[in-house]
Amino acid sequence: MKQQKAILSLSVAIAMQLTTSSSFAAVSPMDLVPPIAQYKLYVLKNSNQLLKDTEQFVAAVRSGNTEKAKALYPTTRISYERIEPIAELFSDLDSAIDSRADDHEQAEKSSDFGGFHRIEYALWVESDTTKLNVVADNLLRDVRDLNKRLATLTFPPEKVVGGAAVLMEEVAATKISGEENRYSHTDLYDFQANFDGAFKIFSLMKPLLGEADQKFVKKTDANFQNVFDTLKKYQTKGGGFESYEKLTERDRKMLASRVNTLAEDLSKLRGMLGLD
Amino acid sequence: MTVMKNELISRQRRKALGMMGLSGAVSIAGLSKSVASVSVPDSRVRDGQQQVKAQSSGCVPYMGLHQAGIVTPRPSNGMVVSFTVVAPNKQELGRLFRILTNRIAFLTTGGVLPEWDPKLPPPDSGILGPAVSPDHLTITVSVGASLFDERFGLSAKKPLHLQRMWAFPNDALNAELCHGDISIQFCANNQDTNIHALRDIIKHTPDLMVLLWKQEGNVAPTTYNAAHRPENARNFLGFRDGSANPDAADEELMNKLVWVQAGSDEPAWATHGSYQVIRIIRNFVERWDRTPLQEQEHIIGRKKANGAPLDGGESEHDVPDYQRDQKGFRTPLDAHIRLANPRTAATQENLILRRPFNYSNGTSKAGQLEMGLLFICYQANLAKGFIEVQNRLNGEPLEEYIKPIGGGYFFTLPGVVDKSDWFGRTLLEG
Repeated sequence: MKQQKAILSLSVAIAMQLTTSSSFAAVSPMDLVPPIAQYKLYVLKNSNQLLKDTEQFVAAVRSGNTEKAKALYPTTRISYERIEPIAELFSDLDSAIDSRADDHEQAEKSSDFGGFHRIEYALWVESDTTKLNVVADNLLRDVRDLNKRLATLTFPPEKVVGGAAVLMEEVAATKISGEENRYSHTDLYDFQANFDGAFKIFSLMKPLLGEADQKFVKKTDANFQNVFDTLKKYQTKGGGFESYEKLTERDRKMLASRVNTLAEDLSKLRGMLGLD
Repeated sequence: MTVMKNELISRQRRKALGMMGLSGAVSIAGLSKSVASVSVPDSRVRDGQQQVKAQSSGCVPYMGLHQAGIVTPRPSNGMVVSFTVVAPNKQELGRLFRILTNRIAFLTTGGVLPEWDPKLPPPDSGILGPAVSPDHLTITVSVGASLFDERFGLSAKKPLHLQRMWAFPNDALNAELCHGDISIQFCANNQDTNIHALRDIIKHTPDLMVLLWKQEGNVAPTTYNAAHRPENARNFLGFRDGSANPDAADEELMNKLVWVQAGSDEPAWATHGSYQVIRIIRNFVERWDRTPLQEQEHIIGRKKANGAPLDGGESEHDVPDYQRDQKGFRTPLDAHIRLANPRTAATQENLILRRPFNYSNGTSKAGQLEMGLLFICYQANLAKGFIEVQNRLNGEPLEEYIKPIGGGYFFTLPGVVDKSDWFGRTLLEG
């Protein structure tokens, strides 16, 4: 009931935004309401999962249970990576939660380096979590804050639709190299989550695309499938992934090519739907 | 109501633009005549540094028996980019070569870019503006030995001497700067012309190839003086480079030294192609600059100021007489130019056509300048050409100051001869 109400208020917000800002709309603004509402549910579900997982992860870090913390690290990140284009709208939280050492001038030594990757560094490189209580507490605080802010956010349609391409651009620019999880090499978890998130957006918008765009739909579907198949090769029995270092050079190149192609094609999705 | 009307316009517009995209370069290239002054290139000039920038609407034809960018004049800016092919089969490899051919046709001819729906990403980076000027751009496509592995069923067609470049004794090859399935050489008067062309090609081929490495370089344009033969540009060691290059304007000589001929031992498809060698050669310039002048000159074998040989003469065009200096009193026996080209009858078959550019890439971890020579050369026979010459150079005193760190061996495909032809056709269909 509460959710239905949320969707209703959301639909009105979208409709108002669209009628005022998008005179070139190729699809009716109202057509966008259901997929955007569904996407919001997807984001909220993942945000709730992220909060739950982060609580456990932070508890493991604080109690000095490094083995458990290491095991929880990649899976905790999944729900964040799925909704990254929306989570990133709050840039203060994104940099606090997910910045990497090289986002900071003194790299790992920077006093403002916190969040997931600071803990990753402590777990895999320093093998010492005793000084991490503040970092861990801050992470949980920020994830909680994100969860709260997402619940009241009006999702801008162009950001949602554009988010599919944004995810691919991020993978293409700074992830395919394996630099995101450089200490733990758990990048394939992030990849799967990024592709899941992009595929979700694409799948929700697909029904709105016309006859003329079916070639694009077919090609994009095939490229996603190709990526999922490649990732499957590296899945472990427990549902996790092998170390990124296990990826063969050819598979890495193949993934890079699919990501580039998806980024190139999905960059047109916003325009196809007449969004600014 | 207004919204609906606009929707309709947007839809139709997109449809029209989409169709334009399908026919691709051909329709765009068709527009080009109004912009590009398609002139017969001044390709018989021995080297191209004297091309002045004002000629930037000049066009070097991409079509011909041989690819452009080898005996055509060398403009100021060069770039070599290597790619890994990810095409899943031979048919898709053919699609890649056809796309490359279309893009090269457009980029080297120029044209006006079509109007575009502003809601979509533009089809062109726009860095050359709405009218793409050819700027003497040449784009030269070559293939590496790895393209002939099991992926495309081409192993029986590998050119005789094509192989993965191995390290010579003084090399310190960096795996991230070596080899590749395809190399593309871009040469133009201006650097942004090369970059525009590269970005265009990347945008059109994301599902077929992936960027592996890239090196840009440039040479100073030298002023043209009708009274004198043009002087060669200096490299970053401060010496004129290319003085003894064979004359690219001499067709007969080029057929002998550069182009694979029909009836040779090479596979028939390779006729009119050439072996391309790329070497990224770092120069330790700080150390070089702290070396006495006479030592520098003995290491190279030329006067630094005017490029003249050490046994006399006034310019780089004077020819040293090693016969009269057999003990190496004037030009040391291990001087670079003497080892590279001993000027005997027997070593004439080892001559190669060089087309180098200087590169400058920031600083090394040790706080020194990271710069050197983007060495490019062409020859009809890789074994008799570069490999033989480099083997003679192994151990030369110059090695103290240089370190080859990357590059690769490639085979430059034969040219495209008409509008229906495409690069690689003889390889894939022959």
